[in-house]
Amino acid sequence: MAATRDITSLKQLVLGRKDVQDLIDEEIELPPDLMTINMGPSHPAMHGTVRIVLTVDGETIVKGDVQPGYLHRCFEKESEYATYTQVFPYTDRLNYVSPMLNNVGWAMAVEKLMGLTDQIPKRAEYIRVIVGEISRITDHLTCIGASAMELGAFAVFLFFLKAREWLYELLEKVSGARLTHSYVRIGGVVKDLPEGFCDELSYNLDQVAKVIVEVEGLLNANKIFRDRMAGIGKLTREEAIATGCVGPIARAAGVDYDVRKDYPYSVYPELEFDVPVGTTGDCLDRYLIRMEELKQSMRILRQCIAQIPGGSVMVDDHRVALPPKRDTYNTIESMIRHFKHIVDGIRVPAGEAYTFIEGGNGELGFYVAADGTGRPYKAYVRSPSFVHLSTAEKLITGHFIADVVPIFGMINMIGGECDK
Amino acid sequence: MTVVGTPPAPPAAPPPLAPNTTTVTLTIDGQPVTVPKGTNVLEAAKELGIDIPAFCYHPGLPIVAQCRQCLVAVEKNPKLQPSCQQVCGEGMVVHTQDKQSTLARKQMLEFTLLNHPIDCPICDKAGECTLQKLYFEADNEDSRVDVPKVEKAKVVDLGPTVVLDQERCILCSRCIRTCDVVAGEHQLEFAHRGEHEVLTTAPGAQLDNPYSLNTVDVCPVGALTAKDFRFTMRAWELEATPTVCNGCATGCNVELHHKDERAWRIVPRHNPAVNKYWMCDEGRFTYHDLREQRLAGAIVDGLPAGWDRAIAYAAQRITAALKDNGLAVALSALAGNEDNFALAQLAKSWGLTRVFVGALAPIPSRADGRLRVADVNPNTAGVAEICRALGLEVTTDVTGVKCLVMLGDTLDVEVTGIELIAIAAHERGPVIKAKAALPCADWAERAGTITNNQGHVQRQHAAFPPLGHAIPAWEAVVRLAQATSVKMSFTHVREVFVEMTNTVPAWKGSPWVREARPLQLRFAGSRG
Repeated sequence: MAATRDITSLKQLVLGRKDVQDLIDEEIELPPDLMTINMGPSHPAMHGTVRIVLTVDGETIVKGDVQPGYLHRCFEKESEYATYTQVFPYTDRLNYVSPMLNNVGWAMAVEKLMGLTDQIPKRAEYIRVIVGEISRITDHLTCIGASAMELGAFAVFLFFLKAREWLYELLEKVSGARLTHSYVRIGGVVKDLPEGFCDELSYNLDQVAKVIVEVEGLLNANKIFRDRMAGIGKLTREEAIATGCVGPIARAAGVDYDVRKDYPYSVYPELEFDVPVGTTGDCLDRYLIRMEELKQSMRILRQCIAQIPGGSVMVDDHRVALPPKRDTYNTIESMIRHFKHIVDGIRVPAGEAYTFIEGGNGELGFYVAADGTGRPYKAYVRSPSFVHLSTAEKLITGHFIADVVPIFGMINMIGGECDK
Repeated sequence: MTVVGTPPAPPAAPPPLAPNTTTVTLTIDGQPVTVPKGTNVLEAAKELGIDIPAFCYHPGLPIVAQCRQCLVAVEKNPKLQPSCQQVCGEGMVVHTQDKQSTLARKQMLEFTLLNHPIDCPICDKAGECTLQKLYFEADNEDSRVDVPKVEKAKVVDLGPTVVLDQERCILCSRCIRTCDVVAGEHQLEFAHRGEHEVLTTAPGAQLDNPYSLNTVDVCPVGALTAKDFRFTMRAWELEATPTVCNGCATGCNVELHHKDERAWRIVPRHNPAVNKYWMCDEGRFTYHDLREQRLAGAIVDGLPAGWDRAIAYAAQRITAALKDNGLAVALSALAGNEDNFALAQLAKSWGLTRVFVGALAPIPSRADGRLRVADVNPNTAGVAEICRALGLEVTTDVTGVKCLVMLGDTLDVEVTGIELIAIAAHERGPVIKAKAALPCADWAERAGTITNNQGHVQRQHAAFPPLGHAIPAWEAVVRLAQATSVKMSFTHVREVFVEMTNTVPAWKGSPWVREARPLQLRFAGSRG
């Protein structure tokens, strides 16, 4: 009896009021009118800087006004004032957890415009696929790790970020930068893979695979995780198609669409991999799809390691390839070409092109209009995050405030990409 | 032994002339084009948008076909023809992209690059160099040279304005012809032969004609550099704004090259009616004045003041002088049409019938029958026209004048004892003594028009915003008008222009030219 009293007084101390059972009926009833509260723009559980104005009926969301744009960096307008090569650093900052994929997308759009698509050396294509798939893995690791952390599974976050760091270190060895790689160039990649890269990658993939097994053990049968994810933020197949969803979100909803399979580019036709497709379209399915894609990406990478040919990593076309430094310093021809490439930019013939690749979040498209000068007349990016965010209002409506967190986590809105 | 035989048959009678004898029609790369008789193939191709590369050809200079860079194949002609020299003929069929002429041009370019120094990083022409442009567009092949380059003099002081780098020179002779044609003085010549050939002046002579800097413009490479511009600013970082030179009454059309609100050089802009492709050296240096002794804020009684106080003060002085019948206005032959018109109209509203005109004294020695004239005021004709249209008499008599509202910083009448209200861009001359000085935009900062000695009303575009607190002079006039209760409501220079063209009969119906946005030279392609 004494112990009970102690707990009651402790509750009163902590909560500053009586226990719920002790309240009279009128006090228990919540006020009947709707309440408007802000979630974000700066909220620890919001990916990127996005604001949601929630209208709630008690704990249930009646309306959610999603307001992106806080990270708008004028990617498209800035590109009009940069040479085609100078746009690469801007693309790095689109989806900043998988910058290599953005690099590849931009390069492919310009190459299409220049008619270079078929001339990219095989080795360069393989390198692009390798760095791209590593980026896809880092993308999914971040997405899953962060979402799990927001649901309380902090260990998962640490495990996955540890694995991500191994891969970032690999990419740093390739490009010199941990995050903002700017590694791809129009016509190939800037330099060859470092010595022993493939062995290191192979070793790291084994390590990452172990981490994935660990995390699957922690999450897949975890009651809390499943309760928070299953049935939350459902999207039907039709809705996914109607709203333009792509990537893991569309696949979770049962849309069997992967650009790598349906509009094959680069060396993907030579590689064997499966596209996981979900059934329920809820957050749990999105999680499972991403987990499976991690494994498929690793499968692709292992094939690439085995198949990558030797040779050049840059197309042998003087319109786009910088001359070797030795020649630049010693011959006037190479000096002029170098100068022109750097100062005036690669001359892209007038025209327009659109290419799309499978980015971390789905179909990532780049549109370029050229006017024959060294800079784009217009650049446009079809960023999957932006499209996916447009479904957010629908997805969160009817759920609890707490469900906004897993829904947003699984939409994987990346501010840089969404706000461009 | 002399063979006497039948003489060769006389040439067949020429085909009957086409009914239209002033034009010829030819085919270039499969496209027909009709051009005036006498046009060369290179210009005809330009009509079709086909840019035939060339170094020595310049539309404003005699043709020498020296660089052989513009070779094209003309059907029924066994050898390639330099398209700059080849006059278009009726029914001629020209190929510019065929294998033979493309190869020939590539090889010519390789020859040109043979001894060219690797100077791009330190060359002032880099970024606007014709050699760079043509190499990148038409050749873009690797070097095949494995012998040292011929060494020549790197710094040859040709005269007061120009420095020559003989290694960079590709011997196109454009500069020689420019001196001949534009200045009428043969000051440059080639010396030596073969790979030792160099551009030079005669021993003891200098390149010192007043049009010498045109040689720098026409130089397709960085061989000739202006002492005024070399090593100061990279060409590709500049922006170009089309405007009109303020140096004299000729009104040469120019481009002002500027960056970050600072002017770096002036180059001529093609206008067949005024200056063709050229301008004089003095005109090029006028941009320095844009930063000299500028009035950046209003001044009242020798001390800095805000705009509102300066205007209120000026209005009070003007009103007092009006009561005493002692007010006068001075227009300026150095200011634009709009500025002068606004002030002239205000003078009319104040009830004045006579105005002073501030102007620099003519320099008779300048007049050379070419571009330079004695009158060094850019807008003498414009001010005269405005005064005529508004019925204002130009005077130099200062008797009875107590307060003088003057535009600009030039006035050649005695102003001792007169209260000056100056609307000026520079703090010098009479402006220093002004009771109130209102800062206004200088010519590079001003959008508007000026009228040259031929009567052309030419548009000046503002390259950058006025310095400090300065505003366009017409705007200062509007503020003065409102402060003295005169109804004047211009809010844009275009409104002043429209009102002016409606008022001045000579300019009736002149169209307003839309604002030109500065052109980034970096992305304009090398214009060579």
